[in-house]
Amino acid sequence: MHLHLPGLALPVLLLLVWQLSGGSGMLPALSSVIEVLIHPSRDLLSCGSLLWSTSVSVIRVVLGLLLSILLGTPLGFAMGTSRMFRRFTSVVTELARPLSPLALLPLSIVVFKDTNLAEVFGAEHLKYSRHIFNELQLGMLFILGWGGVFPVILETMHGVRSVRNVYLEAARVLGAGRLYTLRHVLLPAALPDIFAGYRMAAGRCWMVIIAAEMLPGTNSGLGYLIRYSYQLSRFDVMLACIFVVSIIGLLLSRGLEAAGEKSLLLRAGER
Amino acid sequence: MSFRVKGLAKAYKDPQGIPFEAVGPVDLNVPEGQFLCLLGPTGCGKTTILRLLSGLEKPTSGACDTGSGRLSYVFQQGALFPWLTVESNVSFPLRARGTGKREAETASRRILEQVGLSGFEKSFPHELSGGMQQRTALARGLVTEPDLLLLDEPFGSLDERTSIVLQEMVYELCTRLSTTVVFVTHNIEEAVFLGDRVVVMGHRPGRIARDEMVSLPRPRDRMSSDFTDLMLSFRRTFEELVEPS
Repeated sequence: MHLHLPGLALPVLLLLVWQLSGGSGMLPALSSVIEVLIHPSRDLLSCGSLLWSTSVSVIRVVLGLLLSILLGTPLGFAMGTSRMFRRFTSVVTELARPLSPLALLPLSIVVFKDTNLAEVFGAEHLKYSRHIFNELQLGMLFILGWGGVFPVILETMHGVRSVRNVYLEAARVLGAGRLYTLRHVLLPAALPDIFAGYRMAAGRCWMVIIAAEMLPGTNSGLGYLIRYSYQLSRFDVMLACIFVVSIIGLLLSRGLEAAGEKSLLLRAGER
Repeated sequence: MSFRVKGLAKAYKDPQGIPFEAVGPVDLNVPEGQFLCLLGPTGCGKTTILRLLSGLEKPTSGACDTGSGRLSYVFQQGALFPWLTVESNVSFPLRARGTGKREAETASRRILEQVGLSGFEKSFPHELSGGMQQRTALARGLVTEPDLLLLDEPFGSLDERTSIVLQEMVYELCTRLSTTVVFVTHNIEEAVFLGDRVVVMGHRPGRIARDEMVSLPRPRDRMSSDFTDLMLSFRRTFEELVEPS
């Protein structure tokens, strides 16, 4: 997103319309939303600060994303390189892929109860304090992993499979073994696609977590705050949260894009 | 390294599943240090022979005994790895075979100097001209000091001047290393200029139509009448090869 004048015109216009119509009906005054945003560490609705809720959601997503990357990348590689393995897994992945992670939330609560990382790491003394470990439920991480792992698997597989054959043949006649080829030819050649998969996974995880936090299973995070503020008719808090959700989603995507930029540049040079 | 090919044949299946012979059967005896040019029109199976020699493909029948010597290959379009620098591309075959980093670096710098690419070690392939890319590909093919070097129309996509410069360079380097060379080309002049021996391949199935030692003294003069006479004679062979339609 480049900040240039025509690009800024529309948001400014929208804010202006909002301000002029301010305070009437359902929409809170712009100033009250800004008031929430500029005091991010002030407690909101006894749920902790905006900063706290944001951190909870972000850390959940980061862990869920890591989970999908750690699982999905090797799986995608295996599916990309071995036709046997691809056939072996194809039915399960094809069926599992279109399944919304949210559909699995109740099941994951049944399976994982409300076990969180504090209990996993045996840190029970944290139980009644506001500590991030208490908010990282295994069930949440499971559905985030579910949401993120398929884009990672598919893009990695696609990347590995679309490596030009001439590179593999070159590696072979130049004396490279399987492992050396994997590390020094397949991986760098597939890297742009792999990063695209990570970015898609990050986007999906962010969508999933906000929705999941509105459902049973947790009472923290931006999604929860959005729902809770709705129940209390605190639309200023709600809109501030929505704004933060949008900004964080953008930053997440841009961050991964920047990380993948270098590999994309190299592939562009190939043509 | 000398090698011998006996009854080598390769058949493929066309889209209807009907097998057709691409190559062979071909017999060839190549003594050590010979610069052999495999000359033929497009689609006569020259590349297939190289792929069979290198082990990229298995023959349908027959065998090529390239022994245990070190083999190297230079592809038509270079096939340089775009994500590696020139130097890393060149040291790839050494590193892949387990040579230490510093040693590989020294060797690549030496060969890069010999192909006239000093100062471009840290460039990426896409930053180089076509000629420089093929120089890099040659350096990568020669850095292991192979016993047998296979080249598949390495200068086919270059302009004539560049191509001539690189022809002289590749001959000199291979002679210095006393490498046995199989150089595939469809360019008669290139074959006559480079080859100790020129083998002409005919169409479908690709088989040897003419096998001739070239006794012209080196350095060869492309303008001399002996040179042009020989070219003309190969051109006639070419014409006879084309099936009347």
